[in-house]
Amino acid sequence: MKDILSLFFAYAKSGLKSRFQYRLDAIVATLAVFLREAGGIIAMYLALLKFDTINDWNIDELLFLFSLIFITYGIFIVFFMALRDFPDWIRHGDFDRVMLRPRGLLTQLVLCGADWLAALGHGTLGIVLFVISANRVGIQWNFAMAVYYVVAVISGVLIQGAVFLFFSAISFYVVETGRLKGIFYWNMRKFAIYPLSIYNKIIQSILIFVMPFAFVNYFPAQFFLRKPDMAAYPEWMMYISPVVGVTLYLLAYSFWLFSLRFYKSTGN
Amino acid sequence: MTRYLSFAAIKFRSKMAYRFDYVLGTLHTLLLFVVYWSIYKALYGGASEVDGVTFSMVTTSFIISLGLSSAFEKNEMFLQDKIKQGTIANELLKPVNFKLRILFEDMGEGSFNVVFNFLPTAVIASFFAELQAPCSVLHIPLCLVSVILGYIVLWEISFIVQSWSFTLFSVWGLITIKNVIINILAGAYIPMWFMPDWLRNAIRWTPFDSIYFTPVQIYLGELDGSEIAFHFARQIFWIAVLWAVGEYFWRSGIKKLVVQGG
Repeated sequence: MKDILSLFFAYAKSGLKSRFQYRLDAIVATLAVFLREAGGIIAMYLALLKFDTINDWNIDELLFLFSLIFITYGIFIVFFMALRDFPDWIRHGDFDRVMLRPRGLLTQLVLCGADWLAALGHGTLGIVLFVISANRVGIQWNFAMAVYYVVAVISGVLIQGAVFLFFSAISFYVVETGRLKGIFYWNMRKFAIYPLSIYNKIIQSILIFVMPFAFVNYFPAQFFLRKPDMAAYPEWMMYISPVVGVTLYLLAYSFWLFSLRFYKSTGN
Repeated sequence: MTRYLSFAAIKFRSKMAYRFDYVLGTLHTLLLFVVYWSIYKALYGGASEVDGVTFSMVTTSFIISLGLSSAFEKNEMFLQDKIKQGTIANELLKPVNFKLRILFEDMGEGSFNVVFNFLPTAVIASFFAELQAPCSVLHIPLCLVSVILGYIVLWEISFIVQSWSFTLFSVWGLITIKNVIINILAGAYIPMWFMPDWLRNAIRWTPFDSIYFTPVQIYLGELDGSEIAFHFARQIFWIAVLWAVGEYFWRSGIKKLVVQGG
């Protein structure tokens, strides 16, 4: 375990160093990620100056909802960057290198560094949103709440990790998965940012049962905020995020182990 | 001129080769539209109009501005890659104006995306969303002209930011920031009518509302004859100003340019 931790820090150090070699560029790029993700939020903020609420959610409650997606992605990208870019690893033959080393495959992939610009951009945005909104939405913070929050964040990271682990496993069969991921992950994520209840039933079902983003931000946020639109869903949905996260991750992991046998190197 | 038009035609045809791409491109634009359609459906909450703006005006505005912004996405790292790889030297040797050539190539790609990405999206959306028909048949060609002029404004702003690759290590960050600013201020993420007054007044002095909002206004018939002429003049004014600025950056960049090896 100690050994794994030291590996992680070594990778993190070299990753940060190489990214911040061109310091100004790294700062501008981090700011760019921050603003790109904030774009939709700024538009929402401007719209709510006119409309006040959306399905009874005011702007502070929305910011609290948004913060969960960005914080979980910020943490996710520290550990799962290699899975996000996994098709490249296969195409360039980097995965062969990983196979030759004396550590577990997934361990190495998870440790081998983060997309620090994305992590800082998303993470900072998430924290800023959380700090702005957490007090204003009237949550009575206590120990149980804090534990729920931490567990919800970890579950959110696991859910997104599972999705990417699943897509990585598909890369063993077909090398080009970027477009699939584009539609299923990135487009669905655009939906997931806003309250689930504004969508029609089909999209809601996709966000609950197919690409379960609803358990990353909507249901955990409902635990704290108890907005009236929660009435449309069973209450236990607020409590099963960890179950969803762990189950999905284990499923994706078995699929990954199974698919690994079909790996063929692309050469050089 | 015919020479440049054929650059556009070649680009248009080469895009035809990737069929799967435009199915996914349409799906992408459609999903993007559904997000904003759902948001405003919830915001309206069944009300037929807010501040004199009907819900069908909002959806129509979104399909035009969001749809076009998605169709007009292009590779904005183009100039930087050419400079980094040194292949810009070959471009400078060719007996055509580099800027014009790229503009026409991009217009070829853009018009391809309008036909095979934007139009299918609009047709599919019209089955479930409350879209308005154009104000009159005459407004269709007028709208088309304003879309082309708007595209050139958009392209010019992109070129100016790209031309900083002569001095900066990477323009990726600046381009991303520029796109956020455009998408908000040009009304792709929020209809111009719902902007706070101070912001909308400020935008009137910038080129941003001539990109998507002028076509939206013409399509909906919000402008009468003389106003349309005024907005065309405004678009052309911004094209001239931005062209001059871009030209300045481009020339001073080329002077500084050092290409190693080759």
